[in-house]
Amino acid sequence: MPEGSLIHSGLENVYWGLMIVTYPYISGLVAGSFVVSSLSHVFHQKIFDKLAPLAVLVSFALLLAAPLTVLGDARQPTNFWELLSRGHWPYSPIAFFILIWMGYIVLMLFELYFAFRAENARRAAAGDPRQRLHHILALGSRDTSEAAAARDKRILLILSSLGILMAFLFHGYIGFIFGSTKARPLWATPLMPVMFIVSAMVSGIALMWVVYVLTMRYYGRPVERPIADGLLRYLILFVLLDLYMDAVDFLTSAIPAYTQGPTAQGFQRILLHGPDAGVYLGLQIGVGLFVPLVVWVIPRLRQSWIGGAVMSVAVLIGVFAMRWDVVIAGQVQSKISQNILVAHIPWFGFDSVQTVMGVFGVAWVVFLVLAWLFPWKPWETLTEDGSPERTQQGLSPQGGESA
Amino acid sequence: MGATQNGTSPVFGRRTAVQKLGGISLGAALLLLAARGKRVYAVAATVRHQWSGEKAQRDYYRTKPRWASWMVPQLNVRDGWSEPTAWMATIENLHRLPYIHDNFNRLLPVTKLAHHWVMVIDLRKCIGCQACVVACKSENNVPVGVYRTWVQVVETGAMVPDPAGSVVTDQGRFEPNVKRFSLPRLCNHCDSPPCVEVCPVKATFKREDGLVLIDYPKCLGCGYCINACPYDARFFNPIQQTADKCTFCVQRLDRGLLPACVTSCVGRARIFGDLNDPHSAVAQLIAQYPTAHLKSTMGTKPQVYYIGLDGALSEDGADTFNTIYPYAVGTNTEEYDDLTGKVLLETPSGGERGTP
Repeated sequence: MPEGSLIHSGLENVYWGLMIVTYPYISGLVAGSFVVSSLSHVFHQKIFDKLAPLAVLVSFALLLAAPLTVLGDARQPTNFWELLSRGHWPYSPIAFFILIWMGYIVLMLFELYFAFRAENARRAAAGDPRQRLHHILALGSRDTSEAAAARDKRILLILSSLGILMAFLFHGYIGFIFGSTKARPLWATPLMPVMFIVSAMVSGIALMWVVYVLTMRYYGRPVERPIADGLLRYLILFVLLDLYMDAVDFLTSAIPAYTQGPTAQGFQRILLHGPDAGVYLGLQIGVGLFVPLVVWVIPRLRQSWIGGAVMSVAVLIGVFAMRWDVVIAGQVQSKISQNILVAHIPWFGFDSVQTVMGVFGVAWVVFLVLAWLFPWKPWETLTEDGSPERTQQGLSPQGGESA
Repeated sequence: MGATQNGTSPVFGRRTAVQKLGGISLGAALLLLAARGKRVYAVAATVRHQWSGEKAQRDYYRTKPRWASWMVPQLNVRDGWSEPTAWMATIENLHRLPYIHDNFNRLLPVTKLAHHWVMVIDLRKCIGCQACVVACKSENNVPVGVYRTWVQVVETGAMVPDPAGSVVTDQGRFEPNVKRFSLPRLCNHCDSPPCVEVCPVKATFKREDGLVLIDYPKCLGCGYCINACPYDARFFNPIQQTADKCTFCVQRLDRGLLPACVTSCVGRARIFGDLNDPHSAVAQLIAQYPTAHLKSTMGTKPQVYYIGLDGALSEDGADTFNTIYPYAVGTNTEEYDDLTGKVLLETPSGGERGTP
């Protein structure tokens, strides 16, 4: 028997639970990690060439998992087909989100193909044990020439530029789902899409730092300082932006003299002095923004691996807390009665911690499958200077232990 | 080409690869179609016959009780819960009125339309007896724990210090300088309803005569409309697991009857009628008395008019009034927990928590 968010005990309830907290979180990771991959594809930052394939895979795996959260929160998920057959475009933000999501999937499929085409073609031609697989992944293409690689790069530049727009649209629209709900005083702010995009960048970069370091450690490869430090530099840039956005949000939502009554009241009673004060002040602002900044300003910490790990994990926690403060804190403010509602988050069952872990598990499995399919390992595909590796059988130029 | 030139094992060429992939995807598509063929046919039949009559809708529920998703609670057969055809409300739409989902300005000016149903609630006459609540639950089979209409008993004003006051506390004596109201609430059937606009699957709609209704079998249960309603008039029906709300008793209205809450109102505080008819009671009342809406600043153009609505009640109530009767305060609030311990009602979907 399900319990928790489905208990209809009073007249007002928290209708969107932990799954909807996870929904913008995962979508933010999608957008953020995609932008990390585009650092190489669009902005030609050579140091991130080795990271770009991994970032594309992470982004795609999370993209496939993102709608599971919404469907898992819906009471009638078997009606999902209605979204396609009679979607309320373009009036309903959720219906529009489905369009953007499908467009993003198509774009990511093209991106996956062109990002790995040359390597797949090379392996298909080179007598790799998984020759047939690579042949299929390259869709039969066998052109390993420099001209073809240059064409791939041009196509990737266009795709990734479109993809950045798409990522911003994708995540900005999720912000708009909340920002357009005028019945919820804490949601109805035009800052919402921008705040979501900025925090998406923050969390995506932090996730890529964690994934990069963990995979390198797992395969026993050296973690390259320029990549890790470069990521942290971007991370701090976006943390500062996020801090700015939070400051603007605070000024325009929390101060009674500057804003509408219910908005300021809700901010004061829920986020500053109420049930979510710890999550807001402690996790979102304290852990999510100030911990990375403090670590960054101390050179010894900043240059150590533990410092980078603390920054990344703190940011990931802080962004999840930010999603919580939007979704849950916005709903515990009552619309027509006086008091603050209690959010019941069950451990098991519908809309629970368990299902959220399940969604992350799905994303993890999809990522493992993608990582098994696609030749993303930089030590097998790229030489030290970033040019395509020509050695057979994926031997690494450093001659290190190949997994 | 590369493979054959290098002398490695010849794999199939590009054309073959395309053919194979195409074959695989075609096979998968056929399999999917075969698996879903029956369902696709059922959906098509439904679209054709949707709401074309009571029988078609009942057939629809009988063949595809889609409200019974994985969340379906244990229904008590003897109470009739196993037969949705026996209790689920039917939107017959005998006059074939158009449904709209957006661009609500199309319904203005209202004088073009045959009817424009509104409700006037005269707060001077409401005694807070809750008969309308009971009548609504009975008429529409509203499950335990949720309400389509409810009457909030609220107090405005403050206790003022008075040496001769009748209320004695540790802080001194006070005299109540308060007013008490009974405030019936229901769906306002807004002329610019945010709940309809945000529905991703057009499951909820505004009928041309002003009613905001839900097409239950199409509801995704995403909860967006519930969050988007400023009046908290929508809720998740714990039995059918879809959004649900007041329908102005459309099943009665289509047969020429008044809504159940109107017929049961002992003080005749609720008056229902056609605003387009200048001789109707509602048109006369609205013309002759000052009326007010709830949360008019939301821009939703509510179609429930209140006579004698205190200014403190019309907007967000967090500071301006004090709810006395606890049944309209959320019972899942921290204050309620502090007051009474963990008292949460037993519901069909939730089971019991604490003492009922």
